[in-house]
Amino acid sequence: MDSIFNLSNKNIIATGASSGIGRQCAITFSRLGANIILIARNEERLKETFNKLDKGNHLFISQDITDYDKLEDMVKNAVKEVGPISGFVHSAGIEMTLPLRSMNTSYYEDMFAVNVISSFELAKIISKKKYLDKNGASFVFISSIFGITSQPAIIAYSSSKGALISGVKSIALELASKKIRANCISPGQIESTSMTENIFDKLSKEEKIKRIEMYPLGLGKPEDIANACAFLLSDASRWITGTNLIVDGGYSAK
Amino acid sequence: MMKKEEFIKELKDALEIEDENKEITLETDIRYVEEYDSLSVLAIIAMIDKNFNKQISSLEFTKITTVKSLMDLIGEEYFE
Repeated sequence: MDSIFNLSNKNIIATGASSGIGRQCAITFSRLGANIILIARNEERLKETFNKLDKGNHLFISQDITDYDKLEDMVKNAVKEVGPISGFVHSAGIEMTLPLRSMNTSYYEDMFAVNVISSFELAKIISKKKYLDKNGASFVFISSIFGITSQPAIIAYSSSKGALISGVKSIALELASKKIRANCISPGQIESTSMTENIFDKLSKEEKIKRIEMYPLGLGKPEDIANACAFLLSDASRWITGTNLIVDGGYSAK
Repeated sequence: MMKKEEFIKELKDALEIEDENKEITLETDIRYVEEYDSLSVLAIIAMIDKNFNKQISSLEFTKITTVKSLMDLIGEEYFE
């Protein structure tokens, strides 16, 4: 049954689809009737995601999205195989827990390449008339609660996620006339993702417990973010653009 | 292969010890160095990854006492 909350007949490009939030997003969107174009570097993990999708006209493409010259061909190929694009979700992202004294310029550059620049480049390409669904599209950039608040030793991560929150406002204003909406989601810590495992691995047991206690509703699940994302991609969020949806179990309410 | 003196210098940088005269030896218990805190643990772990391509978790790090114990954890074979 068609509902304003489902994603039937939408063709959605999802980066970071090989694991974590990106994987769950793809699965959730397929259950809501969308056709998904899965993008990530690791082909084996991409295939695993692909095999978990509900039936649909799906495609997976193994591609490093910081290889900017290849992006347009990738989108062109996706449109040819699946159809014009009505949604784009950028879940690809890396983290780095390093104190300022250990940082160097190439770390910032690598972080911004994956977390920010690749997403804006993809937005630029997908928003071209020839690739876009005639009813418009919705872009969602997965930022982080640490794009608003922060902690010691995450300057590159925090600033890159903050960049998405600011950048999305300009994108939203610029592309509104093309019927493209653009928003961010700022997740809190999501359990069972490799990013959370990497972060927790660097913390002591006491620090881990302290961190979890900061979340009134406990740690999040990938489904929590995928559901929020699905809402922003659906027609139910028709009048929402240029904003940042915080999905953090109450962390930032304190 | 890293010289022991060089390792101590890298360690002092990671701890942000700016006083050149402050002595750190193999027998120094890192945990009691004034500058030692959770940020310097991260910096030391990063320094080890960068110089020896070894990833040490903070759990492993809780067992560290002296500079020598840290070098043993990395592996004697890496030092001259």
